[in-house]
Amino acid sequence: MTATRTLTLWCPDWPVVSWGIPLDEPAAVVVANRVIACSPAARGEGVAVGQRRREAQGRCPDVAVLDRDPDREARLFEPLVMTLETLTPLVEVTIPGRVSFPTRGPSRFFGGDHALCRLVADSVLPVLDGRGQARIAVADGGFASRLATRTLEARTTPVVVPVGASAGFLAELPVGTLDRPQLSDVLERLGLRTLGSFAALSPRDVLGRFGREGQQAHRLAAGEDEHPPDLRRPAPDLSVTWEFDPPAERIDTCAFAAKALADELHHHLDANGLACTRVAIEARTETGEHLLRLWRHEGALSAAALAERARWQLDGWLHQAKLTSGVARLTLIPDEVVPAVGKQLGFWGGRAERADDITRVVARLQGLLGPDAVMVPEWRGGRAPSEQIALIPAGVVDLGEERQATGRGWVREPWPGQIPAPSPAKVLFEPEPIEVLDPVGRSVVVSGRGELSGEPALVSRGRVRPRSVQAWAGPWPADERWWDPATQRRRARLQVLLDDGTAHLITVEGGVWYLEATYG
Amino acid sequence: MFDTEGMGLPEELINRLAPLTLATDRVLPVPDVLSPLFPWGGIQRGWSVGVGGAGAWSLAFAIWAEALGAEGWVAVIGVPDLGLAAAAEFGVRLDRVVLVQTPPAGQWSTVVSSALDAFDVVAVAPTAQVSPRDARRLSARAREREAVLFHLDGGRTWPSALDLTLHTRVEETLGWAGLGRGHGHLQRRGVSIDAVGRRTGHPRSLGVLLPDVRGCLAAVPVQGSFRESPVLVASAASP
Repeated sequence: MTATRTLTLWCPDWPVVSWGIPLDEPAAVVVANRVIACSPAARGEGVAVGQRRREAQGRCPDVAVLDRDPDREARLFEPLVMTLETLTPLVEVTIPGRVSFPTRGPSRFFGGDHALCRLVADSVLPVLDGRGQARIAVADGGFASRLATRTLEARTTPVVVPVGASAGFLAELPVGTLDRPQLSDVLERLGLRTLGSFAALSPRDVLGRFGREGQQAHRLAAGEDEHPPDLRRPAPDLSVTWEFDPPAERIDTCAFAAKALADELHHHLDANGLACTRVAIEARTETGEHLLRLWRHEGALSAAALAERARWQLDGWLHQAKLTSGVARLTLIPDEVVPAVGKQLGFWGGRAERADDITRVVARLQGLLGPDAVMVPEWRGGRAPSEQIALIPAGVVDLGEERQATGRGWVREPWPGQIPAPSPAKVLFEPEPIEVLDPVGRSVVVSGRGELSGEPALVSRGRVRPRSVQAWAGPWPADERWWDPATQRRRARLQVLLDDGTAHLITVEGGVWYLEATYG
Repeated sequence: MFDTEGMGLPEELINRLAPLTLATDRVLPVPDVLSPLFPWGGIQRGWSVGVGGAGAWSLAFAIWAEALGAEGWVAVIGVPDLGLAAAAEFGVRLDRVVLVQTPPAGQWSTVVSSALDAFDVVAVAPTAQVSPRDARRLSARAREREAVLFHLDGGRTWPSALDLTLHTRVEETLGWAGLGRGHGHLQRRGVSIDAVGRRTGHPRSLGVLLPDVRGCLAAVPVQGSFRESPVLVASAASP
């Protein structure tokens, strides 16, 4: 069984291109402090995908840092897809920036793969209008054609991998191209550095050792389609429909319906133990126009991903398709489904979706209160309770990722002078000046050698009645940054238990006592 | 393949197999030691819960650690004084904690309402009295989104009674241990917790160690033996 012959069109750096930045200006799109796409000019200066924002700015100081806007990416990609739709009806979008379709019909009609590629290039380039590049490749199977768009030759001319030669084409490529970092890491350590050497293994062994995910990767490496051809045809009742009354002309109305439909569809699929890898989004307008578009996902589409794609598509249609009337009916059809066993990681999937929800709400709160108003904690080394935790803006971390600095073992170095656990439950954001007196009423001082002038007996806080000290321990001296006169701090801390049963951590610095924390 | 039509499951069995969400399925777990204080042995999603008294925040951390588990998220709104090192000692996962600055008075309820959308627990300590209208709206939101609104001030600023309020009290025989006059360090504290609220039939009380020497929540070993038990734990960190 050979894979479906597929043409893939890829617009590199689409997240940057969609912002309308000319390719010769350095620009980078940054998500959670990491570069996810950059313009060729920025790449020339040493900016690379995966770098931290600061690193990118260090390499190329005048790089324009842009936010990611998936809605905009999808909306501006729509004209390209509509152009391709004049050539073939079976266009499927993977992500904004990449689109593919089976070439069997169109190639025959237009006179071969080469002629089809030229035709695609000729029709797409005017739409792009020099704002971005387009790379085109034809090969057996979506995976091979996707990789073929990444080869050097694809920059200028379309690449056509001859029929049956895809496995040979793939064999030379490194296993990293599978885009499964954990798997390719293991393969490399086993000495399997190319897709060819991985494909040479017996499928049975691969399934036994790497499970379903390994099996899928193995099929790809061997130049076959990701899913075996015995895809179950979904029963027609799995598709879900929303009738708009009155017809919707605004994207927010459509987006609301899309979200509800996506949830419903996902629920149906879930109940049947299925996962959707390709969805058809279908809209009918009041005047009878009929629009249909396929969206593919390399894994399985989650409810959030379904809703997102439906929203992008409707946004694109409403903006670009010059509809004569509003959308009257929206249908989501699970076009290609697979048994959900491969994604039995429900646990992980669920977690990713959870993190997406959290990220969305965090973004909303940042919108309401400002970017630095939402913080997440991380461990830092330090003596005082307030120094052991650092707060960093939630916008610079990826909440869905494992964050090492939030784990207990992050700070390994001992901190002499650290107050032993348990830590205080309340750490005052602004320490409060207090008075600490010895039994004869003199203020307690700590000498340069870390000795108390007298036993602390009374603690008074502002206008509150002074409390007598029942027990105390310390001082824990902390002589910090003694090498730097500007930031040097000499402090000493005491734990005190007052007669009302409350326990506190108090600090003396420059002869003044502060209430630093309360063991609440 | 199977012919599901022909299998003819008895209707009674189908009904029993049908998915059904019971109230107890929507309960967030709490530490075993505390479960006698909770009417369903845990916090029902959608509730408003308050903690008050001397050990309120430690108690909150102990509850979150269990209720959130590995996957739950907590948002803390407008409580800059929270001691997160202590939270981590109680077992709260810091990568599931998000802190929000104190919002301007006019935006407080909008911010809390947004947070209830996604977080399992939203912890608040309002600086001003909450209006009954906002309170109703937020309670409804919490129920709808199955989130828990957690009052770190014991519900003082809330216009109506909470579903459950836990008050910590330091009694004569309990309190902090480990600290001497110029030696030792704070090690553990015995408190008693009273649970009152709309959802509890009658007030319930319980004595616990909050925290114990490991910084966690624990049951009081034997009634009355708290003070008598030796507290001399050699500590290299003491001066």
